[in-house]
Amino acid sequence: MNPFRAAIAVARKDLVSEWRTREMVPALAQFVVLALLIGNFGFQIDSRNAPSIAPGILWLALVFAGLIAFGRTFAAEREQSSLEAMLMTPASPVAIFAGKALAASVLLILCEVVLLPALWLFFGTPVSAGVVLAVILATIGMASLGCLFAAIVARVRARELLLPLLTLPLWIPFIIAGGQAVQSAMGLPGSYDQAIGLLIDFDILFVVLTSLAARFVLDE
Amino acid sequence: MSRLEKASAGAVALMALAGAAIFFYAPTDFLQGAVQRIFYLHVSSAIAAYGCFAVVLLGGAIFLRTENYAADRWARAGALVGVVFTTVTLVMGMLWAKKVWGAFWVWDARLTSTLVLWIIYAGYLLVRRLTEPGRQAARLAAVVGIFGFVDVPVVHFSVTWWVTHHPGPVIINDALPPQMLATFLFTMLCTLVLAAVMITIRYRIETLMDLKQLVPSPVQVVITREPGGVAGPVQ
Repeated sequence: MNPFRAAIAVARKDLVSEWRTREMVPALAQFVVLALLIGNFGFQIDSRNAPSIAPGILWLALVFAGLIAFGRTFAAEREQSSLEAMLMTPASPVAIFAGKALAASVLLILCEVVLLPALWLFFGTPVSAGVVLAVILATIGMASLGCLFAAIVARVRARELLLPLLTLPLWIPFIIAGGQAVQSAMGLPGSYDQAIGLLIDFDILFVVLTSLAARFVLDE
Repeated sequence: MSRLEKASAGAVALMALAGAAIFFYAPTDFLQGAVQRIFYLHVSSAIAAYGCFAVVLLGGAIFLRTENYAADRWARAGALVGVVFTTVTLVMGMLWAKKVWGAFWVWDARLTSTLVLWIIYAGYLLVRRLTEPGRQAARLAAVVGIFGFVDVPVVHFSVTWWVTHHPGPVIINDALPPQMLATFLFTMLCTLVLAAVMITIRYRIETLMDLKQLVPSPVQVVITREPGGVAGPVQ
């Protein structure tokens, strides 16, 4: 079975299921807007300091929205015990994992479609193509790691506790490079090209590593 | 005295000797004064921590390939001892930093990556606590251990373009006077012996705890022998 077609089929299944229920994307969108609201009250934001504070709020909102999104990726499969059924098909576990990660990243990108304009609207910071590129590149790597650990903790009792605990430290490289890229795209000092280069490197590294590990995690 | 007790006594004696070398043999640093003596144990315990996490990595990788539970127990032992040595490194480093840089903490590459190292392996220990012991937990922990090991150099690399306060590797580029170098190498050797002994003891404890789970205690067997109930051990 062609692994790419299998992965696309799994991603399509997840996205169709989301389209029919429309649960995750509205909830995530509301969550990120609430995070901006908290950021507004937590800091004294005005037009001068907004460019230095907004990137931080952006990453905080994105990271926690990501945790919610990836935590839910395997929740439905667990409730219906459908993961076992999927693993019995000729599709390889790596293809199934890639499909799940792809669908979760699409959901997170949809949530960024709300987050970035809201950031521009509330904080007046420029949301350029550079910001969008950095956020999407970080989303790819974060999704691969987040889905791997979501798959791992899906069958563990304390999964809500464990997922953030395991995923957040591993996301730090993406926050460092992505944070730097967004900061320089918003006019703060720092090399944008170098940060984007690092993000691409990290994406390749972690997508390859998580695909290798997915075999051990899903192959039960 | 059992072999483990002899080994622990030896390790403690070696550490006392290292302490004597640090305070009485090594010369006082011209610029920093007595506080520079933190260096010997600070760097040694960082190296010992890396060694412990290498044990976690190897144990995890071997477990994933062979399902050998001894490898998993070595990994568990390495993680616990590694977290202890990372804590020592961080605390001693913070004390030294306060004296030399004027602040307990700066977000420098090496400090950040060491903190992430600590968080990842403290997380590893929590994973072991929050999961039911068994194959699932061991596989999960193995993946965490492997990704943790990969993540730390990546974090280090990605912060390096920030201004770094931490001194570079002084040992490699011949910056240490011979007496300091000798003290450092001796302390590092003693710390590595201590770490190895601690891991071995912890491995023994993990083995006993695994055995306790496999073999039901007499009390549990007695409880199941109720009238009308099915006799036999419970898990």
